[in-house]
Amino acid sequence: MTAYSHVDPKTNLVLRIHFFWRILFALLAAGGVVYIWGGAADTALWQKILVSIVLTFASIFSVIGAVQISRRNHSGRMISLVLDYLAFVVCFVLALNTGEAFIGIDAFGETFPKGIPYLGITIVGYFLSIMDEYLPQKKKTSENSLKVVGRWVMLAGFVVFLLQVEAINGILYFLGKLAQPMGIISVAGALILGVSIWSMMRDSTSQALHAKTDHEQVINGWLFLSPNLLGFLIFFAGPLILSFYFSFTDSDAFNTPHWIGFANYAKILNVRFAWLSSPDQFAREVVDIKVYDEVGRFLIGNGGILFAAADKFFWLALRNTLTFVLFAVPLSVIPALVLSNVLNSKLPGMKFYRAIYFMPSIAAVVGISLVWQWLYNATVGYINYFITVGIEFWNNLFHLAVVDPKIQWVSDEKTALLSIILIAAWQTMGFNTVLFLAGLQNIPGELYEAATVDGAGAWDKFWSITLPMLAPTTFYVVSTTTIQAMQVFEQVFILMNPPEGPNNSTITLVLYLYRSGFQNFQQGYASAIAWVLFIVIFGLTLIQFQRQRQSSIYES
Amino acid sequence: MKIQSYRFLQFLNKFIVYFVLTFFALVMIFPFAYMIATSFKIPADTFRYPPRMLPRDPETIVVDGYDEPLPLYYVDVNGAQKEYALAKSNIKVGTYAPADNLTSTFERYLTEVKPTGGATNQQKVEVNGKQEKLFDVEVDGQIIPMILISQTTVGEFIDPQNPENKVYQNVRLSEPVESIGWHPENYTEIVELNNMARALTNTALVTILVVVGQLLTSVVGGYAFARLRFPGRDTVFVFYLGTIMIPFVMLIVPLYQLMVLIGWTDRLAALIIPWIFTAYGTFLMRQHFITFPKEIEEAALLDGASRLQILREILIPASVPALATQATFTFLYAWNSFFWPLVIINVGNEKNHVLTLALNVLRGRASDTPNLILAGAAIAIIPPLIVFILGQRFFVESVASSGVKG
Repeated sequence: MTAYSHVDPKTNLVLRIHFFWRILFALLAAGGVVYIWGGAADTALWQKILVSIVLTFASIFSVIGAVQISRRNHSGRMISLVLDYLAFVVCFVLALNTGEAFIGIDAFGETFPKGIPYLGITIVGYFLSIMDEYLPQKKKTSENSLKVVGRWVMLAGFVVFLLQVEAINGILYFLGKLAQPMGIISVAGALILGVSIWSMMRDSTSQALHAKTDHEQVINGWLFLSPNLLGFLIFFAGPLILSFYFSFTDSDAFNTPHWIGFANYAKILNVRFAWLSSPDQFAREVVDIKVYDEVGRFLIGNGGILFAAADKFFWLALRNTLTFVLFAVPLSVIPALVLSNVLNSKLPGMKFYRAIYFMPSIAAVVGISLVWQWLYNATVGYINYFITVGIEFWNNLFHLAVVDPKIQWVSDEKTALLSIILIAAWQTMGFNTVLFLAGLQNIPGELYEAATVDGAGAWDKFWSITLPMLAPTTFYVVSTTTIQAMQVFEQVFILMNPPEGPNNSTITLVLYLYRSGFQNFQQGYASAIAWVLFIVIFGLTLIQFQRQRQSSIYES
Repeated sequence: MKIQSYRFLQFLNKFIVYFVLTFFALVMIFPFAYMIATSFKIPADTFRYPPRMLPRDPETIVVDGYDEPLPLYYVDVNGAQKEYALAKSNIKVGTYAPADNLTSTFERYLTEVKPTGGATNQQKVEVNGKQEKLFDVEVDGQIIPMILISQTTVGEFIDPQNPENKVYQNVRLSEPVESIGWHPENYTEIVELNNMARALTNTALVTILVVVGQLLTSVVGGYAFARLRFPGRDTVFVFYLGTIMIPFVMLIVPLYQLMVLIGWTDRLAALIIPWIFTAYGTFLMRQHFITFPKEIEEAALLDGASRLQILREILIPASVPALATQATFTFLYAWNSFFWPLVIINVGNEKNHVLTLALNVLRGRASDTPNLILAGAAIAIIPPLIVFILGQRFFVESVASSGVKG
């Protein structure tokens, strides 16, 4: 009761308005639910359910907020702020969308080239304005003028940039588009919600609702996190859950998906093993070829085992991907380990080499694959040329007669995957080297000194100090390289024609996912492949983690 | 004596170190060097075997009596190598021999030799059980009927100083006179052929917006995680951490459907908006802000500064290296991404292509001109390399110091 007496009548009025606003908010949200199930027919079921859940919660919480405000509880303020803020964000985004701000980026792309030089001027201006910090102390007298000049250059550059990209036209277009019912409603909504938030944030209101300084931190915390969190929920967490749902449907991206239970997974995992009585027995004699296709056969003596699957491409893709990982990861990690140890010697020029090794990992995979495509060229490519020259050299040196293999790198089924492996290893080696180098530099030098005193050689030191101390780095490097390698796609897509390579020798899981989801538009099936891929990746990482833990237990 | 051998060992050690390092450096550099060199070549030069690094031009010379400049070749004149101009190619030469003595051969131009007995009623002779046509070949003023053994094509090479001096030899086996010649016009050609200019500016636009947007959201988010106490913070943070390892391909199908739903397929917005909210970037910024001393901030709070002011005026200016590092990473990621644009932007919609997509189209369109393809690849690869060279200090150091969270 005492709280009431301290509050001035104006604030009391504000709080009373807030009470009614919360009730109105709840009614609007409830009305939205009714509209969705009654009026708007052409939306998918899951969207309807999702939106009505959100609106129902908003409605209920709004009522609770109203009650708490009337009781002058601080939770009423919190609920009110959260609801108003979320609704504000929705209205804001709706307004942007109605004004075609997002789609308008395409139009911006049209005029952007003309503005680029002025954007460059703006950046130069920025560097001018911060330059004084890097100038030697003596020249500090010119500091202010430089800063001012820089700021002016920046401003002028940006204004000309805006003129060049026709920003005024864009804004006028935006406003024109906004002047339709949807736009006006969302702008009005955003304004009302903004006023509501502002009045709730005022000192007099927050005092009337018994706010403490801790509450300000809570509000600020969620407010600062909110842009990232909302985007993360919409563009990451939401789709992740959706992906799980799709993997149980026959979704094709355009029609309403139907729930089909585990059928996608069942198709992927539907395999048969059959005994072969002779190595070249036909598959149709041992399995039902209406359902199963032969994936491969393992010959044992006079007979063998036939491996057949309902979806042979998935298993071929799994085989290729695992083969790729099995070779590409060691080929990238082991040289990196060696190189980092060599780089760790404190000789001059090491930073230069380190920078050079880093270069491949920053270049676009697409561009790199095109370059290697010509290096691999069987008749005029450099790789075959080096092989030819090397073989001639050894033949002359030792009077041998080794035949030049003239490898048809990408068009031979035996070497197609190898050529992808080499590119990937080449491209990731430098990054791994730098990571290993960081790990090496964290190993305390005393360990080596003690070992030297004990008379250990370089080799002993490597095995008994460097490798065990480097185990966490090795785990990190191997697992990230493996995760990356499991998703190999771009090199295959660019280098191979067709991408699945000669006789499906380079079809990988992600390539197959792409083919199923975006060429055949079996998106439910593609989602199931994605989850199987995730489980494989997760399993591999878990195995590596276990091994790392075990080995570190042994070492300690 | 002992010291000397120790010194020798040390020298050997250094030599091996630099040898290994240089070898690998060459392996790393070579494809880039090849790309740049080839992008300045003429098409014929790219298909030459054995391959050469530097681009070359065939040299030509203007000779009196010929309208066009003639290509120069090395020819053998009486044992000496000379530079002659190719005046006429495709001259057909036949090797003829009498039917009774196939070893004594004579070379004559096909045009100079007439069939024995006329074209309509050519005489024939049986050689080794086969009927062979007879030709009238003039040897020292005498006409002898001979058979045609083989036929080649030669070119007429003339001495540029004295066009009367002529040499005939096979053109394809002759080595042309060449000089180093760069062809930067490959780049203008590729830009015109394949809409590369638009793709380049689109990529720049997308990259700039993604970098700026991602920095904004992850700086404020990272600050909230690092410095503000609020219920639910740690739960959300663990949630963020858990998703870092989830591969992007998991999202591609549902994200595509989301874009279909909100009408962003084929739009640049689809390449930008979903990528400015990142768990990993927020995590990195949080790790960075948490190292800051709290005292400065508390003092500023006492002075009445708001959280946003503290962030803007104290923390951000002090975090330029960390921000630069993250900006560089994001730049590379956005610039080089291919899978998502491939899925979301239609092949036909060239207006909205980014560089990687343009390269994918180019691959099919210019498959027989490696010089153009590699010029395109260079356009896509060189800007990130420049950014890398400029930001190398921040970038490699930060991978080396904070990249490992093992």
